[in-house]
Amino acid sequence: MKIVGRNKLITPVIFQTLKTHPVILALIALFVIFSGLYPERFLTPLNLSSILKQFVELMLFALGPSIVLVIGSLDLSFVGIWMLGGILVWLLMPILGMFSILVIPLLGLATGLLIGVIQVKVKIPSFILTLGLLVAYWGLTAVLSGGYPRSVRQYAFITARLIPYLPTAFLWSIPIIIVAVFIIKCTRIGTYLYAIGSNEEGAHLAGINVDKYRILTFTLSGLFTGIGLIILFPHLGCTAPIELKLNNVILPLVAIVLGGTPLVGGSGGPQRTILGALTLAVVYRGLYLSLLHPATIQLLVGLLLIISIVVSTRGLKGVTIT
Amino acid sequence: MTIVGPMVAAIAIIAGFQVINPFFLRYQGIITLVYAMSYFLIVACGLTFVIMMGSFDFSVVSLLKLSALLCVLYIDKLGLLVIPLALLISIGIGYINGLLVVKFKVPSFMATLGVSVVVEAIAWYLSKGFLHIIYDETFRALATTFIAGLPSIFYWAMGIWIISTFIAMCTPSGRRTYAIGGNLIGAGLSGINVKRHRIYVFMLCSFFAGLAGVLYMAQMGGGSMEIGGADLAVAVFASVVAGGTALTGGVGGPHRTLLGVIIITWIQAGMLMLAMGRDIQMVTFGLIAVGMSIATIDRRRIKIIK
Repeated sequence: MKIVGRNKLITPVIFQTLKTHPVILALIALFVIFSGLYPERFLTPLNLSSILKQFVELMLFALGPSIVLVIGSLDLSFVGIWMLGGILVWLLMPILGMFSILVIPLLGLATGLLIGVIQVKVKIPSFILTLGLLVAYWGLTAVLSGGYPRSVRQYAFITARLIPYLPTAFLWSIPIIIVAVFIIKCTRIGTYLYAIGSNEEGAHLAGINVDKYRILTFTLSGLFTGIGLIILFPHLGCTAPIELKLNNVILPLVAIVLGGTPLVGGSGGPQRTILGALTLAVVYRGLYLSLLHPATIQLLVGLLLIISIVVSTRGLKGVTIT
Repeated sequence: MTIVGPMVAAIAIIAGFQVINPFFLRYQGIITLVYAMSYFLIVACGLTFVIMMGSFDFSVVSLLKLSALLCVLYIDKLGLLVIPLALLISIGIGYINGLLVVKFKVPSFMATLGVSVVVEAIAWYLSKGFLHIIYDETFRALATTFIAGLPSIFYWAMGIWIISTFIAMCTPSGRRTYAIGGNLIGAGLSGINVKRHRIYVFMLCSFFAGLAGVLYMAQMGGGSMEIGGADLAVAVFASVVAGGTALTGGVGGPHRTLLGVIIITWIQAGMLMLAMGRDIQMVTFGLIAVGMSIATIDRRRIKIIK
């Protein structure tokens, strides 16, 4: 048998990757299109660094939900953790000093645990649960903040300028993303999550303790959201918002779906979301530069969400969709 | 869950707030409550049908906003023709919702969420963010003519509610909705054209949302992008499940939703009276929505909850 040299494998590998990750084509195409349309504005270092900043925002928010989506559930509470976490940091600042930012991962962990346990014990669809929790956190934030957005300036050093035109937040986010992808792809936990997502009944029959891993998934999601928020909090202006903008919830979801993670779970995950977030960041920045009415941009984002879900569910057979 | 639960809750809430403030139910208070409840009830009735069928429709609030804004924006050019325009557009968007869920197999939650984003964008673009006011008296009379002491929108809401209950309980169409909600595959096997009926229910829900939007604009006389929003969405959803219509589908109905609407709007008015801000209201409605969903979900049927 002739042993194929390594260089001969490069082309088929590239084609295979492109086939399974069509979003790469979209990313390259959009980048080229926008560069062609607005060369003086799109290819500047400033714009490219804005794209990276947008990517960080999308990616770190979408990291938790990406993990949860692997088992087929949805986690919409990440914005709530941001809001409530921000307010708690503001409240605890006088008492705990600089350590008060650690309250955000703790809150994320506790929230994830809470969601997981309720989901397992009460068996309510995850998106209703997390949506309810999001609204509850929003209300709590408004109550605790006294109605005004509060800012905590002391953490601005986390995202201070190190390398010109390369957002520091991006550098910080790389290890977080790597850890998340590692857990999903290279550990036994990750394999079990994929199993549960593909066929929960089968996974259960094969001996996987589905309940335990469900709780673990939500907890991981909350934890990663919390850790990511340590970076995002200064990145997004060091303030705890009190307005719930639906955009903040939807854009990370669009990034996840664009990346190719199906909504019923079983495949995909954070590694796909990286591509989706990058593509969405390029699209968003490109549209931003195009001086379209913001409502039109919003409309395109909505259409993008719908189209990407339609495209990603096309291969599903035998799944009853309610 | 039987009808006793929500009924007891409704009576308890009415009585409770009455005790706290004996002047709560004076004539003016009743009028305010009626104004708050009527358009709410119409939207909730529509949403009830979709939830009875086992799906969700997140776009109802955005549709209400769009049809209300369509009325106020084009009433100068089209006069009262804006009403059929708004209703037709709502039905069209309902059709798109149904198509996405049935033909493209998008989970109803995500599909209607996406559609609501698009609808909001359209509403934003058309209204340009400004506040618009209606000066046409005939249009406003639709909702504000006082008959026997109550505004006409009350009779609209009651009429819609009676029609909804009739459709749900006494027509084959309603029976089909319950069947699809109760057992999707079984309903298909027993001869119901599931695809066609689901699209029809989504269209019905959106029609009610559009109608509610038109009447809301007639009642309020003006509006901007501030109409509705996440608060209204949570409140409407909470009122449907508070009435006892389960998320798993197949149970409940518009007759239950009336109780749910009474509970939610009464709590809303009462909280306002007790000077509890919007934030606490939001927490309460979120907790009610989650709590009632937990209480009514039929755990025997659902083995796998995502």
